[in-house]
Amino acid sequence: MKGLRQVIAIELLLIVRDPMSAFFALAFPPLLLWVKLRGDEPLPGGLPEIDATVPMLSVFVIGQAALVVLPATLAQYRERRILKRLQATPASSALVFGAQWFAHLLLAAIGTVLLIALGFAVFDLSAPANVAAVLLAWFLGALSLGAIGLLIGALVPNARAATVIGLSLFFPMVFVSGAMIPREVTSESMRAVGDLTPMAPVVETIRDAWAGNALSPLTLSLMAAIALVAGCAAVRTFRW
Amino acid sequence: MTVIEIESLTKSYQANRAVHGLSLRVEQGEIFGIAGPNGAGKTTVVECASGLRRPDGGTVRVLGLDPRTQRRELLQRIGAQLQEAALPDALRVGEALRMYAALYDRPADWRVLLDDWGLADKKRASFGSLSGGWKQRLFIALALVGNPEVVFLDELTTGLDPIARRTTWGLIRELRDRGVTVVLVTHFMDEAEALCDRIAIVDHGRVIAEDTPAALIAKQHSDSLEDAFFALTGRTLS
Repeated sequence: MKGLRQVIAIELLLIVRDPMSAFFALAFPPLLLWVKLRGDEPLPGGLPEIDATVPMLSVFVIGQAALVVLPATLAQYRERRILKRLQATPASSALVFGAQWFAHLLLAAIGTVLLIALGFAVFDLSAPANVAAVLLAWFLGALSLGAIGLLIGALVPNARAATVIGLSLFFPMVFVSGAMIPREVTSESMRAVGDLTPMAPVVETIRDAWAGNALSPLTLSLMAAIALVAGCAAVRTFRW
Repeated sequence: MTVIEIESLTKSYQANRAVHGLSLRVEQGEIFGIAGPNGAGKTTVVECASGLRRPDGGTVRVLGLDPRTQRRELLQRIGAQLQEAALPDALRVGEALRMYAALYDRPADWRVLLDDWGLADKKRASFGSLSGGWKQRLFIALALVGNPEVVFLDELTTGLDPIARRTTWGLIRELRDRGVTVVLVTHFMDEAEALCDRIAIVDHGRVIAEDTPAALIAKQHSDSLEDAFFALTGRTLS
C-alpha cells in the first residue's frame, strides 16, 4: 500500500509538471467554459447554460486525462524502458496500472474542481441537486474511460501511436457525445452516433445527477461493465 | 556459499537460440563477471536469473529461489541495473529513490544511499538533466534501495567517459566490500579483468571458460584478458 501511495503521488507530480497535460486537463476546460458562457441564453428546455456546461466539461476533463494523457504516459514508459526497470522491482503490473489510473483520476478530479469553483465564483452555477449521485456518476465515468485508456496504453506500439489514437478517439467523442455541445442543441443523428460512444453514458449520468433527475440503473451498469471489460482486457494484454 | 546456480539454461527468441546449455555458479561476496561479445546471450542470462524472462529449459536458482515460481520473493532480495533502462525525465533524483524504496518490504534508508553514492547535491536534479555518469550512479543507488543480497549490473559503463568509468569501477568494488554479491555483465575485457574475482566468458550462448582473470590469462599464455578472449573464442581480427 505504501508503494502504491508513493507511486500515485509521484505520477501525479510528473503529470502536473508536464506543461502539455497540465494545460489541456487543467487550464483549457476553464478557458472553454469562459468562451462558451459569454452569451447567456438558457438552453431549449429552460436549463441555464452553465448548469449543463460544467457537468459536460467535467467529462471533457475526464476524457482528456483518461484517453489522451494516460495512454501516452504508459506507452512512453514502455518505449523508454521505464516499465522494464520497474519490472525488476517487486512492483506488480496491477500496481503500475492502479497507480496510473488513480493518478490520472486525480488529475481529472482537480480539473473538475477548478471548473466547479469557476462556475460558482463567476457564472452563478446552481449547486448539484444530489451530491452523492454526482460523485457516483463521475467516479464510474472516470473508471470506465480510465479503463479504456489503460487498454489503449497496453495495446499501442509506442507513445506517438498512443497520442494519435487517444486524440482521434477523444475529439470526435467529446463532440458527438455532448461533452462540448449540449445534447439539447445537437441534431438527432449526431446524438444517435454519440450514444454509441462510451462517453455518452458519462455525460448523461453526471448531468442527470447534477439536475436531480433519477439515474438510470442501465446506464450505471453500462459504465461499470465497460470498466470491467476494458480493465480486464488491459491487464491481460499488458506488456512491461 | 553458492548464491546463483544455473544449470543447462536454454532460451530462444523465435528461431534465434540466445542461450543453449549454459551453466555457471556465483559464490557469495564476489564480483562475478559475465563477459563476451555483443549477442553472446549475456543479458538473457541475467534476465532469466532476475525473473524478467522465463527460461525454455534448465534450472536457475538464485538465493535458493526459483525465479519462475518465486519471483516476487526473489525480487525483494535482489537489485538490478538494466541495460538502457530509464526513468521519466521530469523525475528528480530524490523522488526516484524515495519511490523505489517504497516498493520494497525492507528498504535501505534512501537518504543514506543519497549521501553514500555522492548524490546528495543532485537530490533535486531531474533525471533528464543528468549526464551519463550521474545516471549510472543513480541506477546503482536504485539497484541497492531494496537492501539486496545480489546485484545485477548490465553494461554499466557503456557510453561513459574514462573518468566516469573508473569512478564507477570504484563504486562496484565498494559494493562488494559491503558484502553484496555483484554480477557484472560487460563486453569490455579490460573492465572484467580489472574488477572481477571470477569471470565466465560467454560466446554463442554458452560458457566457454570460467575462472579467475589471472588463471584465464595464464592458461592462454596471454598478456591480458582481451588476448585470452581472442585465443579462447578463436576469433581473429580480419
